[in-house]
Amino acid sequence: MCQRGERQAFEVLVRRYMKRAYQIAFDFTRDGEEAKDLSQEAFLRAYSQIRHFDQRSTFYTWFYRIVVNLCIDHLRRRARIPWERLDGKNQQSAGEEAMGDTSSTPDQEAIAGEVKRRLGTALGTLPGKQRTAFLLRNHHGLSITEIAKVMQTTEGTVRVHLHRAVAALRQSLAELV
Amino acid sequence: MLQHKDSHRSACKSFEEDLVLYYYGDCREPESHRVEEHLKGCASCRHFLEELQTFLPLTAKPKELPQAFWNSYYEELREKLAAIDARESWWKRSFAFFHPWAVPALGTALVLILALSLTLAKGMWHFKGHRAQEEVPSELRAAAGNIDFFESMDLLDSIDFLEALEDKSSANSEFQKL
Repeated sequence: MCQRGERQAFEVLVRRYMKRAYQIAFDFTRDGEEAKDLSQEAFLRAYSQIRHFDQRSTFYTWFYRIVVNLCIDHLRRRARIPWERLDGKNQQSAGEEAMGDTSSTPDQEAIAGEVKRRLGTALGTLPGKQRTAFLLRNHHGLSITEIAKVMQTTEGTVRVHLHRAVAALRQSLAELV
Repeated sequence: MLQHKDSHRSACKSFEEDLVLYYYGDCREPESHRVEEHLKGCASCRHFLEELQTFLPLTAKPKELPQAFWNSYYEELREKLAAIDARESWWKRSFAFFHPWAVPALGTALVLILALSLTLAKGMWHFKGHRAQEEVPSELRAAAGNIDFFESMDLLDSIDFLEALEDKSSANSEFQKL
């Protein structure tokens, strides 16, 4: 295939996966600009390395792995706990603000907001593998088998990571009055 | 809701992991059937599952972004991809020859050229030397080994010349006497 044709074919993949890639990066970083940069960087890497893509696996598990690894590396470089900015006044995303149920009372909204804030903070403090397993299953609907492929581990290990992540998140809500 | 402390009870330890998987629909048979049977008789595990059903969706709400954002995102990415292609095509043009097969081929060609150059150059030198020899007449080359002979011949010529001069001078003196 000629180079132009390759790019056109890849642009189809970009259209198909750009929202999911952005969302994964956003779930990891909780920052719109960083999510945009990281997800675009993942596409550029995938395009450069597309010749190394093993056709036996699906594109999106291969691509998700690139996105997740970039995000984990980014967070490691940033060397601070993601979501810590949620403690600040201006950190809540527009999407999260839009999550409030208009039919609920102000008290219920406040409680729901506090639950989300705590979950966000707890999610940010999870170990990388637990967080990856949880985000891919809970936020992106990947199956255990797919997550195992993305994380290059066994399904049993993914189940353990997922269970521990859920237990830690549930624990973060334990003291909520 | 989750704000009630008494609702935050632990599930049975042996079922907790399976309950998480059950919530996500990842619990296979026969574990799935076992969990369902257990839930019928265990209030703690039912509460645990209800909690998961309440709080886990709260973490998963995707951030809605306007279509304009995605259009701009896509166009920006297309430009970056085009830039990669431009960089790669320059690189490919420059190094197109350096495919894996080209390196040994180039090496072999260089060795051949070097060998041919040396062989031909040596032949030309040899040819030149040969021609230089051939330009000398064969009589001279044959006589080159008898240089002593020619030297002695010169000496004899000189003696003959002196004798002739002596004869000439004695004849002149006799003529003057007369």
